[in-house]
Amino acid sequence: MGTRRLRVAAQSAAVGAALAASLTACSSGGGQPSNVITVSSAECGGAWSVPGPGWHTIQISNQGTGGAEIDLVNPANGAVYAEIENTGPGTVNPINIDFGSGQYALLCLFSDDSPLPGSTVTVAGHAAGTPAVLPVTYNDLIPIAKTYAAKEEAAITVMAAETATLAAAVRGGNLATARRDWLTAHLQYETLGDAYDAFGDFDDEIDGRADPVGVTSPRWTGFFRLEYGLWHGQSLASLVPVASALNRYVDQLVTWWPTQEVPLADLGRRAHEVIENALEFQLTGHDDYGSGTTLASTLAAISASRVLLGLLHPLLAPRYPGLPSVYSGLNRLQSLLEKERLANGWWVPVSALPGATRQAIDAACGQVLQELAPIASITEPRNTASEFSA
Amino acid sequence: MNSLPEQEPGQPGQEPGKEPGPGRRSFLRGMAGGVAGGVVAGGVAGGLAGHAYRGATADPAVAANAAIVTGRLPAVPFHGKYQAGILPAPSRATAVVSFDATAANRAELADLLQTVTDRARFLTAGGTPPPVGIDGPPSDSGVLGPTVVPDGLTVTFGVGSTLFDDRYGLAAVRPAHLTPMTSFPNDDLDPAQCGGDLILQLSAGNADTVIHALRDIAKNTRGGLQVNWRIDGFSSPARPTGTVPRNLLGFMDGIANPPVKSAAEMNSLVWVDSSTSGEPSWAAGGSYFVVRLIRMFVEFWDRVDIEEQETMIGRRRGTGFPLDGTSLYATPNYANDPTGDVIPLTAHMRLANPRTPQSAPSQILRRAYNYDRGIDQVGDLDMGLIFTCFQQDIGRQFAAVQTRLVDEPLIDYISPFGGGYFLALPGVTGPSDYYGRAMLA
Repeated sequence: MGTRRLRVAAQSAAVGAALAASLTACSSGGGQPSNVITVSSAECGGAWSVPGPGWHTIQISNQGTGGAEIDLVNPANGAVYAEIENTGPGTVNPINIDFGSGQYALLCLFSDDSPLPGSTVTVAGHAAGTPAVLPVTYNDLIPIAKTYAAKEEAAITVMAAETATLAAAVRGGNLATARRDWLTAHLQYETLGDAYDAFGDFDDEIDGRADPVGVTSPRWTGFFRLEYGLWHGQSLASLVPVASALNRYVDQLVTWWPTQEVPLADLGRRAHEVIENALEFQLTGHDDYGSGTTLASTLAAISASRVLLGLLHPLLAPRYPGLPSVYSGLNRLQSLLEKERLANGWWVPVSALPGATRQAIDAACGQVLQELAPIASITEPRNTASEFSA
Repeated sequence: MNSLPEQEPGQPGQEPGKEPGPGRRSFLRGMAGGVAGGVVAGGVAGGLAGHAYRGATADPAVAANAAIVTGRLPAVPFHGKYQAGILPAPSRATAVVSFDATAANRAELADLLQTVTDRARFLTAGGTPPPVGIDGPPSDSGVLGPTVVPDGLTVTFGVGSTLFDDRYGLAAVRPAHLTPMTSFPNDDLDPAQCGGDLILQLSAGNADTVIHALRDIAKNTRGGLQVNWRIDGFSSPARPTGTVPRNLLGFMDGIANPPVKSAAEMNSLVWVDSSTSGEPSWAAGGSYFVVRLIRMFVEFWDRVDIEEQETMIGRRRGTGFPLDGTSLYATPNYANDPTGDVIPLTAHMRLANPRTPQSAPSQILRRAYNYDRGIDQVGDLDMGLIFTCFQQDIGRQFAAVQTRLVDEPLIDYISPFGGGYFLALPGVTGPSDYYGRAMLA
């Protein structure tokens, strides 16, 4: 949203000032630069201060024996201003933000230790600074992941029935029926949101592209292989093994999926990434193996993103001012895509779109991706501390 | 004055009169272009200096960049045991051009290789193209002005596996490890941008120098070569000064390379050695040359938060330091981080070079350039990496590294779409030698 863009612009403009800024740190021993704050698993920064509101860079020196994540938080509510992940022992890494008037504290998260809060630093005055975001916790995400997994399981079961119907249609020898059943089953798969290899090797078997092996390779299997055959004059008899194998893989997925756990960090990422994948593979036409239905696949990706956004909504609404733009952007893209559905149920291939139409779709997709981009970071699960020292 | 280890002293500047007459090139038009040696003195002095500039410091990536930024570079000696463009750090400008050979027979192929050699010898040394009266168009494109400046030009010339089919009777002398490029699991290779009988990389301080050289070589080999695919690239100035050039993901590229000043390391990692590896004797002094054209989805990358970017790569974006280190060239201590708390086990640099005794022989000499060439089908910027590397054995080195990288987290943001496997030929040792002479002997 507007506020978020302004903040980004302000950050860019102030980089030079931030690099030049210094800060007084009282905690560490002599000999270190004055803005270096030492952290370890025994003490998270000691006492430190900043001269006042404004852009400051503090250097976090990890003098512990292991890797750590160091967060700069608001001790009143645990909201995070900035973080450095994966700081190695002995390394020094900068945090630079616009310190506003208010309270700050470091939170040290060493790999094998409980979260260790540091002392509270107060910045006087009435200046606004870089906003903090309330951390999303593991406990916040666990029920969402469970609900998501259950929804996926139900959708996979539906797809299994649809691929069985598809295999039967291919065996039945009616090309029009086979094509129609292919589209139904494939769009169900695309609705699952398979970014980040959620289905492991099954993704290659069920929806693998010809890229690494070529369209004539017997190693190429799945929906796209079948699409290629159905739209390139291959006999239905020759495609029976392809359709049967696809149905078999999906049946295996039905069994396998409940044994998997959805990585919590993937929930927010996937809401974003399914649309990235749609831009890269569907709107480019890359994944059109003959049916010309990649716009429908893009709609399916929107559905997948909406499922995740719906589940994450209670976490996102208070944390992300840009969320309404995500929804309006998805609506805009969806309405543009739906105009390209033909009366007979098929779709205009992207290659046949008029230039202005294609540009409008690409622009809408690119814009909503910009709006989706912060979600992964906001919904990444974070450790929190229950109390801070004064 | 420094020069690269294992490099012959070199003979920068040409000797007028030693240039073979154009009449020998029966089918190759335009051979009149360029009696090298108009700048013999400058070539000698500048050549050695150029060599030192581009290759002889402990940290060539840094030194070369600093030198290139300041202006046009002197000549790099052309003659030597090894081709002069292999060890130096990337130049500011490059072109990688794949050709198919259309020479009708072995004799024409020999003529072709001599022509390429003659042109490379002239272009790398610089000089004044010969005047032409009313009997034809100018001998030179004029892109570099009346006098061709060397500008640090290097010409790296290699052969692909398809040259060793039955056209030229070369099947029996095929390099032992030369095959078509493997399609790895995350690849999306476009056959029109893969492979080729011959590969030519032209690198110099400026794009005009590269373009001039390409036009010169192409016009002199029209009948014998057809361009198969090509791509232009650049290497950026190190920012900040004293670091390493960045790729278009914003990360420094090629920080951890084997030391090019170490003859022992180069002998064990870069140069083909016929005495130990079953290679044909003619290939000694060559080096396997892998080219991979890799699209980077920079819009997507720019929508990823910095912590995720850094853990995918294993380094800080700003400083280039490894996540566990306090300097650019610090060696990551993976033994201290067995579970990847600091540098994830799937980080690009950790998979590519795990820094174990077992992985040491798989090290490559990485020489990456950026490319930038328009837009894709959805209007996103088509830019990425011209990954090139040199090695003694592709299977033991590049392919092993690439296999470790299969399905790394970074693959969502990149897509290899072209390139090929080649053998960079042994160096041209003197005025009477030419590319591939021993191969054709």
